[in-house]
Amino acid sequence: MEAGLVKAPIEVYRFDPTHDRAPRYDRFELELAPHTPVLTALLKIRADSDPSLTMRYSCRSSICGSCAMVINSKSRLACQTPIGPELERHGRIVIDPMRNMPVLRDLVVEMGGFWGNYRKLEPHLIDNPERPMPEGRPSSMSPEEVERFKETPRCIACGACYSACPAVEHDAAFPGPMSLAKLYRFVVDPRDGGQRERLLKIQPGGLWLCLRCHLCTEACPKDVRPSERIRDLKEMAIALQGATEHGSKHAVAFKENIRERGVLNEFKLVRQTYNPIEMLGQVPQGLKIRRKKPEITQTPKPIEGLAEVEKLYEILDDEPEATK
Amino acid sequence: MHRHDVVVVGAGLAGQRAALAAVEAGKDVAIVSKLHPLRSHSGAAQGGINAAVGAEDSVDTHIYDTVKGSDYLGDQDAIEFFCRSAGPTVVEMEHFGTIFSRGSDGQLASRPFGGQGFPRTIYAADRTGLALLQALYERLGTESFTLYEEWDLTRIVVGEGRVQGIIAFDRRHGDFAGIAAKSVVIATGPAGRVYGRTTNAHSCTGDGIAAAYRAGALLKDMEFVQFHPTALLESGILITEGARGEGGILKNVNGERFMSKYAPHVLDLASRDVVSRAIWTEVKEGRGFPGGYVHLELMHLGRERIESRLQEICDFCRNFAGVDPVTQPIPIMPGQHYMMGGVGTNIRGETNIPGLFAAGEAACVSIHGANRLGGNSLLETLVFGKEAGIHAAAHAEKASTTEIPNGLVEEETALIRGMSERKDGEEPQHLRAEMQATMDELVGIYRHPNDLTEALRRIRALQTRYQSVRVVDRSSIYNINLTDALETGHMLDLAEVIVIGAIARTESRGAHARVDFPRRDDVNWMKHTMARRTATGPELSYAPVAFTRWEPKERVY
Ligand SMILES: Cc1cc2nc3c(=O)[nH]c(=O)nc-3n(C[C@H](O)[C@H](O)[C@H](O)COP(=O)(O)OP(=O)(O)OC[C@H]3O[C@@H](n4cnc5c(N)ncnc54)[C@H](O)[C@@H]3O)c2cc1C
Ligand code: FES
Repeated sequence: MEAGLVKAPIEVYRFDPTHDRAPRYDRFELELAPHTPVLTALLKIRADSDPSLTMRYSCRSSICGSCAMVINSKSRLACQTPIGPELERHGRIVIDPMRNMPVLRDLVVEMGGFWGNYRKLEPHLIDNPERPMPEGRPSSMSPEEVERFKETPRCIACGACYSACPAVEHDAAFPGPMSLAKLYRFVVDPRDGGQRERLLKIQPGGLWLCLRCHLCTEACPKDVRPSERIRDLKEMAIALQGATEHGSKHAVAFKENIRERGVLNEFKLVRQTYNPIEMLGQVPQGLKIRRKKPEITQTPKPIEGLAEVEKLYEILDDEPEATK
Repeated sequence: MHRHDVVVVGAGLAGQRAALAAVEAGKDVAIVSKLHPLRSHSGAAQGGINAAVGAEDSVDTHIYDTVKGSDYLGDQDAIEFFCRSAGPTVVEMEHFGTIFSRGSDGQLASRPFGGQGFPRTIYAADRTGLALLQALYERLGTESFTLYEEWDLTRIVVGEGRVQGIIAFDRRHGDFAGIAAKSVVIATGPAGRVYGRTTNAHSCTGDGIAAAYRAGALLKDMEFVQFHPTALLESGILITEGARGEGGILKNVNGERFMSKYAPHVLDLASRDVVSRAIWTEVKEGRGFPGGYVHLELMHLGRERIESRLQEICDFCRNFAGVDPVTQPIPIMPGQHYMMGGVGTNIRGETNIPGLFAAGEAACVSIHGANRLGGNSLLETLVFGKEAGIHAAAHAEKASTTEIPNGLVEEETALIRGMSERKDGEEPQHLRAEMQATMDELVGIYRHPNDLTEALRRIRALQTRYQSVRVVDRSSIYNINLTDALETGHMLDLAEVIVIGAIARTESRGAHARVDFPRRDDVNWMKHTMARRTATGPELSYAPVAFTRWEPKERVY
């Protein structure tokens, strides 16, 4: 082997619905420098051993968003993932198509659902009568306003977050991390007049289906931090119209609940999240829990250091940013 | 069969802007693109877009800089129109929602770019193209049009002296279809992959330029190929000129800031061709690092400035070269970056074929002449994309309905499917690699007549071998082995035109540097090369350059 090269066993998911009954993994042995991106390795496979291996790619510089795939179980950009650290950690490189999207063939997935969710959120500026665009001039934006976009302009719509998201897998009504990060980008844009409507629509529109697992933020190759922007949207939505959804009621109840006694009052939490009829639906679950862990369904005693808890809340009331 | 008033091929900035203009004119518009619009290579542009909007700056200086930058091969009427449109274009993009970088006063920030008298390059961090592409896509999304997503153009149909439509195939399902259109706009972007070391994406294969050429359109000034001075050594990934705008400097193996020899006044910010040739010369004369490259240093700018202003570059260097620009110099070499040439058009985007328009990097108006200035091509995509869209719509308004002639789609399908049915023959990726090596080696920054002749011989041999190109993949679904083959065929045509143009042009001008004719020759060569396809290869003719106010001078920086 040439100096500086490492052995790179690569296993690639293969499936052509017109020929294959079931997916399989093809194994390739390559010798490459450790900083070689996975995309380069795949292109080498295509050039030297199997030109029928198919995938999406274009820029090879992590800007076009084409090459997202699952590499050793993580949704990532192939062009941005060097093989060295993968081999050190896993001994081999296993490549699958993105999740949460049907496979078209090999590493190419059907992204129609992903794009559809994004378009549904009306990703374009809506006229803002309070701040009309100046005639013939660019609008002005203060540094604080620019700051509010956070990292969202960096999004390349690769789909890695969507692929990594358990909420997408669980519930088709969830628009997905990327779409919500995009929505945030419009909500905070001072040129946009749709802030109110956007927030009103998104509360029942799936915002609260986010599980706060932060897997999207972990997956994002451009450090857009979708889960943090989803949190911001949740806060803005509650500030605008109060808690109207199970998710938001739950969040608000959670906060009050802890303030009262320093521990969760599960029964009260349920009461504050659901209306009486909906609560009926929770009864079987409640009974099950009561059987297994009776203490959970009883009203807990306030904890000893409740004064400390209250102090924390006061700090947070004064300085909401402190949570972040 | 599909039918539209206007079919725009390509969904980068030029294509989308053309489509928007045509939709706004009330036409039934379709976009055909082999990539999802947001994946277009426009998104990779880092540095910025030029507009003389600063208080000290003026449209006239922008015009002058562009004319001078073009080495007097740019058409001055087009350049005047272009620079005048810059301000309104940037304002429009801002109003569409582009998130530009701003100064503390809340106004659009600008940075200095090579070859220009003022800092007039407006930017969005170091992802200007992405910011523009997103905003335009989002704006266009509010209109109604048909998107043929992941469809590849294979042929422009011309008959009865006009455009009749196109033939394209759907990558995802493998079906070929005719799309009849009264007007067709070619906005398929760059052809950089004709070279191996290029800053362009893998998809930049000049398909639309080649299809137009095969359909009888004239290609203009194809021999002018811009090399970007600072491409990452191995991958060719671009390190934006913005890095030098922010204060980055080039050094050779002796630690010398060698640009002081080549451009004493503007140093590292000289025009691209000047800097590329300087680096090339340093390396050729033995002052490069072992393996043949030089260093771009940013370290002295400090972590904070590097990470806030040049964030993408930091990522590139760390991810793709294993180098941290905060603490280490970046290894760079010039790489193919931009094709000044393309499908010849006038200021309205019209080609020599009625109903056929072109815009963006696939077109040659020409505003870049022999050398493009950084920041002018994003502007070009928007300014002339819009013009092409407006005039394509106007043409469709007058034109009668067109048909794709019977049997043509079947003929095209059979031709292309034939590549998959061959038992033997060469695989496209090998032919492509040989073509790229030939162009890198023999048709680079300095051009030697013997090299060019040899390049022509090799390209023609590759064309012959291409006749029996073989597609190994038989699948009808997302067969990129097939697109490899089609793209390679396109690029071989273009490589031939580039080389023939370079052989004929016995002078040095802008990006075309002939070692045997080191001077610009205004008496004989102040003219555009026009290439027409014939059965035996490109046939060259020449067209005059339009002059308005600027007399040619020697270009010194
Ligand atoms: C790395 C890099 C950085 C740059 N930075 C700057 C900068 O800072 N400032 C500046 O002014 N310029 C810059 N440029 C140049 C500029 O980005 C390009 O010239 C410009 O974006 C080209 O836009 P376009 O719309 O013509 O083509 P693209 O954006 O490349 O779009 C081409 C479109 O055509 C489609 N297409 C191609 N072939 C086919 C086919 N066969 N069938 C169907 N569709 C097809 C593609 O899918 C794509 O949608 C840079 C270029 C590069 C490579
Ligand atoms: S190829 Fe463009 S993001 Fe990887």
